[in-house]
Amino acid sequence: MFFNSLSFALFLPIVFILYWLVFNKNKTTQNTLLIVASYYFYSCWDWRFLFLLVFSTLLDYSSAIMMENSTSDRKRKFWLWLTIGINLGFLGVFKYYDFFAQSFADLLNGFGFQVNPVLLKLILPVGISFYTFHGLSYVIDIYYKRITAERNFVDYSLFVSYFPLLVAGPIERATHLLPQVKVKREFNFEKAKEGVYQILWGLVKKVVIADSCATYANAVFDNYESMNSLSLALGAVYFAFQIYGDFSGYSDIALGTSKLFGIDLLKNFNYPYFSRDIAEFWRRWHISLSSWFRDYLYIPLGGSKGGMMMKVRNTFIIFLVSGFWHGANWTFIVWGLLNAIYFLPLLLQNKNRSNMGEIEMGWNRASVKTLVSILGTFAITCLAWIFFRAKSISEALGYIKRMVTDFHFESQYLNNERYNYELLLLVFVFVGVEWWNRSKVEPLSGKGSWVKVSLALMALLALGVYSDYKEFIYFQF
Amino acid sequence: MKSFLVFIAKILLLLLLVAVALDFVYTTVFAASENRNKVEKVINSKPQNYDVIILGTSRANNHFVPELFEQQGLKTFNYGMSGSHLFEASLLLKLMVERGWDIKQILLETDLNLSNEKRDPGTSAWMMPFLHRSETIREHYYKEPDFNQLYYIPFYRYIEFDNRIGFRALWKTATQQPTVFLKNQGYYPLPNTSKGNMKNNIKALRPLRNRYYEEIKDICRKNNIQLIAVTTPMCENTEGMEYFSKVKQLYPEIREYEQAVQGDEYFSSCGHLNDRGARKFTEIIINDLLKKK
Repeated sequence: MFFNSLSFALFLPIVFILYWLVFNKNKTTQNTLLIVASYYFYSCWDWRFLFLLVFSTLLDYSSAIMMENSTSDRKRKFWLWLTIGINLGFLGVFKYYDFFAQSFADLLNGFGFQVNPVLLKLILPVGISFYTFHGLSYVIDIYYKRITAERNFVDYSLFVSYFPLLVAGPIERATHLLPQVKVKREFNFEKAKEGVYQILWGLVKKVVIADSCATYANAVFDNYESMNSLSLALGAVYFAFQIYGDFSGYSDIALGTSKLFGIDLLKNFNYPYFSRDIAEFWRRWHISLSSWFRDYLYIPLGGSKGGMMMKVRNTFIIFLVSGFWHGANWTFIVWGLLNAIYFLPLLLQNKNRSNMGEIEMGWNRASVKTLVSILGTFAITCLAWIFFRAKSISEALGYIKRMVTDFHFESQYLNNERYNYELLLLVFVFVGVEWWNRSKVEPLSGKGSWVKVSLALMALLALGVYSDYKEFIYFQF
Repeated sequence: MKSFLVFIAKILLLLLLVAVALDFVYTTVFAASENRNKVEKVINSKPQNYDVIILGTSRANNHFVPELFEQQGLKTFNYGMSGSHLFEASLLLKLMVERGWDIKQILLETDLNLSNEKRDPGTSAWMMPFLHRSETIREHYYKEPDFNQLYYIPFYRYIEFDNRIGFRALWKTATQQPTVFLKNQGYYPLPNTSKGNMKNNIKALRPLRNRYYEEIKDICRKNNIQLIAVTTPMCENTEGMEYFSKVKQLYPEIREYEQAVQGDEYFSSCGHLNDRGARKFTEIIINDLLKKK
């Protein structure tokens, strides 16, 4: 059940009405309904993987209590590593086993040994990377005594399985979400209204921007060997907007949906393509994952303590792990590595926190510099996205080589029966709308909201891509 | 909660109004056009006379050259449409008759398309702007499972077929940008390809007693139109050629031309002749069936 499907358009109002009109007696009835709805939502993907979700919930819930009840540090450590081991074990088997087996076999074959690896070829359970990280953050927080273990199983189950964030995040923290599910939610008109605006804007990003860009990006990437420099550059730009519209659109729908139930989720995107350097980009892109890696990997590894070498080492580790988190393919690892390399000069010059404030623009020299910085950051981000989108490293390198050496810039006719420049106007309009509303969560609320909502609905109906249905990219992670 | 329900009701009402407005604009623009595809050319036509009208799929569109018919003094137009099925061929013929066309002969490609009775989304898209304006089209689609959505939900049909009648097509129609569909009296020549060893496998196909072929026969009989149903060439290396024997068993009146043109040099792909092959095939058809005595 996709957020942009008819089934979700029926599911959401039904759960909403039951939640506020039938099961609103207390927080337990509210939470129970949301758990049932979440399990139903998840089972629509593949009911067989419900057991994994339930197992993961039971494991983290009981380990946290055992950890809290343990009198010695040794026992606490035991429960922590047991939980981490089992959680990552599942993730490893389902997501990474085949990759490691195949890579190891390729390595041995390279040395002349003939090895045929046993591959499991398992289907990746939807959302496993997200709910695993959910659970891990919870047990790690318990271990470090940042929070106390949740004793109410219903409340904890909802924290793990809450349907708006179940399949593609944001990756929530117990410190943020659990306090909200532990109290009865009262209906708040303004919050619900904000939620509707955010859902609408998320749909525009997904159906109008991401899916339109996808048809062009696919046409270019799938035939890159016959494309010229202009087409390849545009292909990378289109993919940049495809993945942004897709994932931030998904996040907007998730956050908006959650607001309808009176629960705030963590912000996941903050206009990342307006970043002035790569450090700022990573503070604005997939914020819940970046901050997870900062808090649960970078800082435990020593963070910025211990000198520059330690900082560099830890930075490379989190970017590589972050790349690998996205998928079991060398392309994601290179994508992570490339971002670490972009980050390095900022780190060495201690400039990684120099662009923390709002972006100010005016008719002055400083603004020109800001604009150049934004365009430069976007350009190197697009270059990295080529690795993210390509099927293999050799394909990505071939794509880049052709892009910088072909030197032909005429518009090409693509196999989606369109010219490669046709989408640019829509992308420019989208960038303009985001730019003028960058201080807000979404552009539809505020003055003239009915006009803006009308335009959004018009864009959804007239410019949306419906016949060539596309899944949300991040569901595969 | 009441305020929120009112807010949602307003958004739904707005959605409905936007859909109605868009539906009106799209329908007005598409329905006024008559030179971008074969469907609108027929629907917006005045009564006319033809010696030969060609109907069928791409295997008609790419195989019959009207220019060669005209050289024999036969006024001809190729209404074969790539991707279409007999479902659309039948409807197009109904529309021609409804508009008072005087047609002497219908040359109908009846081969692989006998194996299904479904609509083709691409060709159906062109019918959709006229769904409320033509009783014939409405009746033809009436038994389709999504008829109610297509007919009653404003703008739904433009969303359902957005890759053919979406915003981009609207813009091109409004600015009267030409297409290739009506060039060469409807014939679309295919290029030579360098592909050697062409092959195809049609083993999975089974010819049906096709209701739309029956409809076409019926229309021709009632309107005194001579119907010539033919199969058209396949490349030599086609597995499952026994399909055509089954066609012959089901419909003995269908003339067999599936092996009329041999040699990969005449084909663009295994199921489609190139321009050279199409001209050779058209000559054979004219000599066999249509040459004015």
